[in-house]
Amino acid sequence: MDPARYADLFRTESREQLSAVNRALLAIEQGDESREPVDAIFRGVHTIKGMSATMGYTAVAEFSHELESLLEKVRDGEQGISAELMDALFAAADALEDGVERARDGDAMGDSMRRALERLHDVAGGRSTAEFRVMLPTGATLEAAATVAPSAALDGPGTLVHVEQESTTMLAGVRAFMVIQRLRELGEVHGAEPSVEKLQAATAPQRFIVRVTTTAGSAELERAVRSAGDVASVRIEERVAAPAAPVMRPSTPVVIEGRMPARPSVPVMIEGRIAEDILDEPSAHPLRRASDVFGVADALGPAERGAAPRARHVRIELARLDALLNLVGELVIVRGRLQAVARDVAMPALDEAMAEASRLIGDLQAEIMTSRLVPVGQVFDRFPRLVRDVARQLGKDVLFSIEGKEIEIDRSVLDEIGEPVVHLLRNAVDHGLEMPVVREAAGKPRAGRLVLAAFRDRSSVVITVKDDGRGIDRAKVLSRAIALGFVPTGTERLDDDTLLRCIAHPGFTTSDHVTAVSGRGVGVDAVISRTRALGGSVELTSEPGRGTQMTMRLPVTLAIVRALLARVGNERYALPLTHVRETLERGPALVRPVQGHDMLVLRDEVMPLLRLRDVVRMGGTHDAGREEIVVMERGDRRAGLIVDELIGQEDIVVKAFDGARDGLALFSGATILSDGAPALIMDVGSLL
Amino acid sequence: MRTMVGDILTQAGFEIVGEAETGKQAVERYKALRPDLVTMDIVMPDMGGIDAVREITAFDPGAKVLMCSAMGQQSLVVEAIQAGAKDFVVKPFQPSRVLEAVQRVLG
Repeated sequence: MDPARYADLFRTESREQLSAVNRALLAIEQGDESREPVDAIFRGVHTIKGMSATMGYTAVAEFSHELESLLEKVRDGEQGISAELMDALFAAADALEDGVERARDGDAMGDSMRRALERLHDVAGGRSTAEFRVMLPTGATLEAAATVAPSAALDGPGTLVHVEQESTTMLAGVRAFMVIQRLRELGEVHGAEPSVEKLQAATAPQRFIVRVTTTAGSAELERAVRSAGDVASVRIEERVAAPAAPVMRPSTPVVIEGRMPARPSVPVMIEGRIAEDILDEPSAHPLRRASDVFGVADALGPAERGAAPRARHVRIELARLDALLNLVGELVIVRGRLQAVARDVAMPALDEAMAEASRLIGDLQAEIMTSRLVPVGQVFDRFPRLVRDVARQLGKDVLFSIEGKEIEIDRSVLDEIGEPVVHLLRNAVDHGLEMPVVREAAGKPRAGRLVLAAFRDRSSVVITVKDDGRGIDRAKVLSRAIALGFVPTGTERLDDDTLLRCIAHPGFTTSDHVTAVSGRGVGVDAVISRTRALGGSVELTSEPGRGTQMTMRLPVTLAIVRALLARVGNERYALPLTHVRETLERGPALVRPVQGHDMLVLRDEVMPLLRLRDVVRMGGTHDAGREEIVVMERGDRRAGLIVDELIGQEDIVVKAFDGARDGLALFSGATILSDGAPALIMDVGSLL
Repeated sequence: MRTMVGDILTQAGFEIVGEAETGKQAVERYKALRPDLVTMDIVMPDMGGIDAVREITAFDPGAKVLMCSAMGQQSLVVEAIQAGAKDFVVKPFQPSRVLEAVQRVLG
């Protein structure tokens, strides 16, 4: 087992814990006086302490221990909650985060952690007295710790009592202890798997085996065990001789001779056990084996252990999921090619096999796509803290809320949108929302409202950041845009689109001063380029005095989309089907010139009509007698696109461009078609 | 808290013969009333629940004490059971669970 492999897991887990801690701190600051947030903070810090101790990250472990001691005082009501304490706790959470991120590099406690501790002690008074030692002896490696043989507690003569606790068991450790106590009344308890101490400290219902020698019969044993309460099942296994015992598989009815083989190194890490195991009292039950903490044992037979019906999760490196996705992408392309071949060959047996393979590939693709989806809450959860800090820094009151946390989106898309959303939130607090006095003077509530929302819109996820602030000063933007030459002199009004284009221009700012928060004029630009790189788009609406809303529209998944293939000249282009509303054959009745431009008249609607040939500057005229029109739509905007010919639909694998994006604004990526030829994917947003 | 457990038990047909506010009082009342069952908080002023259990079982080895505990008091509950408590219930109380435990203890 390689400790380095766990370093990432440690960081991920710790970040999750820290985000819970921050959430709870905010809840307290917002007046939640219940125990829950304090307990949540406690749990988070405690978990980090246990994990860092196991990893040998002494500084983080010590810091969390100190923090925990102080929290204990808060929890027990010895330490009142004051504004200073809250600030100190926020600072401590930051320092802990810093420590977690740096833990791998070195062991000494960094400045941020030291300062945070001093501050905490200033506020709370007095250093904690409890002694804390990192559990792993120095020099002991995780590897050595992990290869400790499974407990020999069950080897030897006697009766094996297999116990499974109810999934609803509370204080399961106490119940397990009571089982052992009841068995002790009937005979001698020699050992248990997991060990008695571990059982006693467990917080979740469990399965365990106890070895006893007793004169009591099975029925009596079972009655005794059940009298301890919350026992779901008991199985008594009489032993004649004293062979080695099965250790990890309590449900195996056959007694396996010999010890479990040495633990294989387990490449997957089981999620969900970690926190629970670390929640064992570390003082009473030191975490003796890294495997205890990281649940390696569970990887051997998760089905056999843990009676609780907890969701079984496997942590997989994102790179592996990416690899899977790429493979399935290639498979989808090959499928297209095979289908084309099968059509030419016209062999019924081949067609049948092809149809079956095709369906399976489709299922595989859907599964892999789904496995990559994560709720946006994973990233959004850290924003309340950020908004609070920015608002405080600027002296503003902000009521921040998040909607649609549960909306799921592809992991790689989510990873990319964190930063853009941060830009938008900062901008909203800094430029959008007014100072409390200004708001009051304008007859608005002191606290500005800021809403971050996510929702599904067909195959897109829409993320909006909306404030009820002053709105964008169009006159100011207009005069500056004219001065910078972005719009022709004499322009009288900026519509929302042009407004967005102006403020998105790198270096454009109407802010008279640059604050630490924003105002450097890079924000919106960065948001737009990042969103477009993901195949999404950004819209803006702003009303003076009423507020501003930024809308990011993103694909739910990257990589594989269904597209309509259109031909212009000898080139084929892919139009993502998400944005295709309908297709038409071009007829004279459909096209009408309006103010010198051809417009598409479709039922009651009139919309701009573009010729793809012109858009890609191919020149020439169409070759065939007829042309076809694709009606594209995004949000409530539509346009017709004239192409030479529509070829058909195909699943395409989107390959992003690596190089410079300038000059490729029309395309969101490229793909290889089923016949092996490359094609460009139109960025519909840029056409509308 | 006490009222709550009391209500659950009364509704199930039990009679509350006495109540105590501290551990010390509990021990005294036990000696005076000799109830069939005692429900007791782990944390109490004056004398904690664990010490009270210890004294009560020293006085009457057959005493049936049911501990009331909060989540997170795992090690204290273990201690109480070692001290002689027969079972425990966890706050927040669910009537069915309280009665289940009571029946186990009395059964």
